[in-house]
Amino acid sequence: MKLRRTLRFHGLKKPRVRQTWNKYNLYNLANDRPALNTIRPQTRTFFQQKWAAKRLARGYHGEHIKERAWERMFDRRLLSVVNMEPAYMAKYDGSEQASGRGQGTGMDNELLERQRGVDKWARERGEKKTPYMQMAFAPMERRLDIAVFRALFASSARQARQFCVHGAVKVNGKRMKYPGYLLNPGDMFQVDPERVLFATGAKKEPSAGASDAVEPAAEAPEAEASSESEAPASEAEPAADEVTTESADANSPSPEDAAKAEQKELKALRDRVKTFLKTSFGDLSAKQKQALRALAKDIKTAMSKTRRGGDEVDTLSTLFSQLEVETKPPKDSEKYDPDAVDDEGLTRSERERLSELLAEEAENPYDPDKPYATPWRPRPFMAPFAFIPRYLEVNQKICSAVYLRHPVARRGKAEVPSPWGEMVNELAFNWYLRRR
Amino acid sequence: MREWMQEKGEQFREHQRDGPNYVTGYQDKPFPSNPLFVSEPVLSEESREEIWRKVVQEGEAIKSVSANFGVDMRRVAAVVRLKEVEKAWEREGKKLATPYARAVMSMLPKKTLSKYREFEPINEIHVHSYTQQQLFLPTSESRHFTREDAAKAFGDRILPADKRVPHPELIALEKELLAGTSPEEAQAAFEKAAMESEVAAAEKDQKRRQQEEEQTTRVPASRFEFRFKEINVDDGGKDGRSRRGTGWRYGVPFYDRRRGEVKIPTKVE
Repeated sequence: MKLRRTLRFHGLKKPRVRQTWNKYNLYNLANDRPALNTIRPQTRTFFQQKWAAKRLARGYHGEHIKERAWERMFDRRLLSVVNMEPAYMAKYDGSEQASGRGQGTGMDNELLERQRGVDKWARERGEKKTPYMQMAFAPMERRLDIAVFRALFASSARQARQFCVHGAVKVNGKRMKYPGYLLNPGDMFQVDPERVLFATGAKKEPSAGASDAVEPAAEAPEAEASSESEAPASEAEPAADEVTTESADANSPSPEDAAKAEQKELKALRDRVKTFLKTSFGDLSAKQKQALRALAKDIKTAMSKTRRGGDEVDTLSTLFSQLEVETKPPKDSEKYDPDAVDDEGLTRSERERLSELLAEEAENPYDPDKPYATPWRPRPFMAPFAFIPRYLEVNQKICSAVYLRHPVARRGKAEVPSPWGEMVNELAFNWYLRRR
Repeated sequence: MREWMQEKGEQFREHQRDGPNYVTGYQDKPFPSNPLFVSEPVLSEESREEIWRKVVQEGEAIKSVSANFGVDMRRVAAVVRLKEVEKAWEREGKKLATPYARAVMSMLPKKTLSKYREFEPINEIHVHSYTQQQLFLPTSESRHFTREDAAKAFGDRILPADKRVPHPELIALEKELLAGTSPEEAQAAFEKAAMESEVAAAEKDQKRRQQEEEQTTRVPASRFEFRFKEINVDDGGKDGRSRRGTGWRYGVPFYDRRRGEVKIPTKVE
């Protein structure tokens, strides 16, 4: 299917709120007055109002779905629910509403008020009527791609659609390549965790992934010069020359070639070893420190060797992760003496801290092969868009969710996540009602 | 926009605290212009574990877990289903998206289960479309007009609310309490009834599967398994065009593979 173009998708002049976690979208969402003002109910005809409202609403609700497809999905029957309190159902059979010649006298009982939604809690929250009009775009929420976006597995509805098309989404354990699949209540959908981490994670630094992008054939003489200029520094003792190496690296000319990229990667790895040493200095045993220092030195040697090529980076980073795994958790024999020092020279609390650190590392490791920044962290500006509607039950650990039921309206709230209030949704609903 | 980003937008760049951080500044309203959408809390990680433990390890009925904690039955079942997958992944040594889960949970409003505060309303019924229009029914003033009468007035085949609620056992419990039974006894009776209804539902399902199995003949082949079912030719109706008829029938167009037909599956089993 040919998708709508995305020119000025997050434009600031004619702002639209979209189904994305984009920074510009956040601004447009926080400042949605200009968009709302396009409706101008005082001065425009009803047709114009409906048109403007429909345009706003469709800009958010499945803008990548063709108008004709949405018109087919649209349903004027809007779902709502009422809670029947068991205490009320047990005590009354409904005839109390007809008491007093159909006036319903003697209804000032707390139980009855709660059932009718006129108790003081409901009044405080201003919950009076059921906002049916907010359910205008409820059929959209049944679509697989929108549900994937709602479950916070993709950073936009379009990305969620791409995940479906690329075969990363399963429904009830079977690959579902149609983003337009309408979920049935009880359907479980799973998204490949790697895709989810990519979609929701922070962007990778451009330097880290550069080694794959450039070809080794494009080696320039300057690169050799720069790496040679570093070679003498790397032969000096490891502690003192950190600053000089870095400055040399920073001052050297930066032609885009493989050696340079690999050096950068090596440098990142070395920095990481260093920070690991620094942050957990007290927690490490002498042996571990020695091993880490040896590794740092190896990295330096490798950095000076990069002009000859080779997969030094991979071997070294595996070495580092092995080293991390090999630092073992404490033994049980010394459990009851907090100040006891084991054969590696660590007290109990130190060992605990170390194992904690290691567990954290193992869970969220540094891995330059991933397409997102590692260790994984959420992308910026994600929190203001993070909510999960009640018709989904999500397990984030396995990147799976169950579509429990269709979204419904209940007194005072509607389950369809929409940036627009009743005026816009009502007008949009009327626009689509017109044709049927 | 740059000004706004520097002044107000900066607080949204990195998520610092535990709990939601929406542009409205409220804990539960993500959209400034739509106060009618509420970001409702999700079950916390411990609550999901607790539900799984109650259902799988202690063998409690889903209905009673749902009633005790105020969680919808469908949600209880979904939590258990998802937890089972999670445990299977752990056993297989498949990597879980734990850092992602931790980050997302820190951004969402959460609620921990409690016996005294329900998580969500559990005894909800859909508003029937027949009941959405006004109806004038002349009747005598002295008539004792109950919910059942109302259901009959709205349509012949509409069930009264008492029969449509998901937890009729809870109503029975309240009735017993009103009749003066001790809370412990009433609770025990409720647990029993909940378990019985669950067992009955399971048996019904089992019976249906068994019946279906009896009707099919399986013939294994090299790559496929052929399944034959008894089909009655009269299912097609008098003119052979009924929707219930099976397969292609002479003279009836069968458009399922035609160009332009929607081929997206409608269900996955």
